[in-house]
Amino acid sequence: MLLALYLLGMVLCIAGNSASGSSALVETLQSRLFSPWMVPLWLDLGFDNRLTYGLPEDADHSLAVAPAAGGEGRRMRFPEALDRSERGARWRRLARAVVFAEDDADRAGVLPAAIAAGLFAKLGSEDLTVKVVRVVPAEFSAAATPAVEETPFEARIRRVDGAVQIIPVKPAGEVAPLVERK
Amino acid sequence: MESRQRRGSDLTGVIANTWNRFWFRPVDARRLAMVRILAGSLALLLAWSYAADLETWFGSGGIVNAEVLAAWRTATAVSIFDPLASGAAVWGMFLAGIVVLVMLLAGVATAVTAVTAALFWASLLNRGPMLAGAADDVMAVILWCLVVGRSGDCLSVGRLLADRVGRPTAAPSWRNRTALGLLRVHASAIAAAAVISQLKGDSWWNGTAAWWLAARDSARIDISGVLAGSEYLTNLITHAITLFEIGFAVLVWNGGTRRLAAWGGIIGWPLVGLLAGEPLWGMAMAILAVACLPEAGDE
Repeated sequence: MLLALYLLGMVLCIAGNSASGSSALVETLQSRLFSPWMVPLWLDLGFDNRLTYGLPEDADHSLAVAPAAGGEGRRMRFPEALDRSERGARWRRLARAVVFAEDDADRAGVLPAAIAAGLFAKLGSEDLTVKVVRVVPAEFSAAATPAVEETPFEARIRRVDGAVQIIPVKPAGEVAPLVERK
Repeated sequence: MESRQRRGSDLTGVIANTWNRFWFRPVDARRLAMVRILAGSLALLLAWSYAADLETWFGSGGIVNAEVLAAWRTATAVSIFDPLASGAAVWGMFLAGIVVLVMLLAGVATAVTAVTAALFWASLLNRGPMLAGAADDVMAVILWCLVVGRSGDCLSVGRLLADRVGRPTAAPSWRNRTALGLLRVHASAIAAAAVISQLKGDSWWNGTAAWWLAARDSARIDISGVLAGSEYLTNLITHAITLFEIGFAVLVWNGGTRRLAAWGGIIGWPLVGLLAGEPLWGMAMAILAVACLPEAGDE
């Protein structure tokens, strides 16, 4: 029994420790032998549904799109407030994908540009602000405190001469303060 | 020496018998037909959640355009929606897929509709990978498992028509057993993968995960007020979810506990799904639990 337990632990350690190189081997075998036919069938899945780690990225995300700089036109939020349907869940995944993509050089900015381009006509403006808003619940120890609204992504996106331009809007804390000229 | 060889061949025989019994013992299609009906209903619900935004996402000038797909998908990913340029064509394909799912649910030409439904589902998810969730993943697995079995042999329009012309009842088939075996393996593996993933996070160890789930607006049952008032209850629910998932993954493999684990899954997964704000994922897992119920001759 002890031997079996040790062997199981050893296998898990090797498989889970990327420094040993085994994870890279597993990944290579998977991508070469299995992914080519499992991806089209939507069977190349990890099923790692963590539900939550209590981190801000596990909070509910939503997209807020409005004409830039207080311009005229409609404002839209996806999903709408208190939409708990599966449709709403798909919009929340899309909003979360926008935030996660910012850490990936190949994906950064692609989705926000597509979102704006897809909504220019609907909102009646070719100069939009696309924001991802997330509502982060308070820690359990301070459960009575209201949830905090964060904006992990914001950009002004406009179409000029047919080309879509993205101008990231940085949070105030990341922008150098203005120094008055004497 | 001879006795050692005999023992070795006995062991090989036992393993081979167990393997064959698990995967290839012919069984009737009733259980798989139940899975087909439940999965068909849930797949319709999941698919319909695309309907309101179909053109906004996949239509001409939609959000999930070619550039987004190039960044998100691997080279081998394909979708029957890819070549469709106009909104009308996307709607046409989508409605055709809905019809196929209805046919699968009713059991019309099941051998064909099962394959077509699985292909439609994989295509829909591959068309917008960032829109897919855990329920969609589980549904893909269930639909492909239905392709393996003969779920139309029972509780189906096909069977009804066969009865009318006096065709004999379909004989038990090894394909049904293989499909149910695959569903059970996936049920256990998905529960195990979920719990392994969860246990990488502190909130599942310090007992606050239930709070984080309940405090989100997307939670379907709002018990955040109750949890906020009781740390013990919060810890109890968090650890109960973890134990339930571990128990389900393990106990479906024991003949004596399988029925209990399956019924626990049928009741427990939808509750976890409700709390987590993913009720359709909970229902998809419950369908896998239905496939885990023992059949005649199993116990």
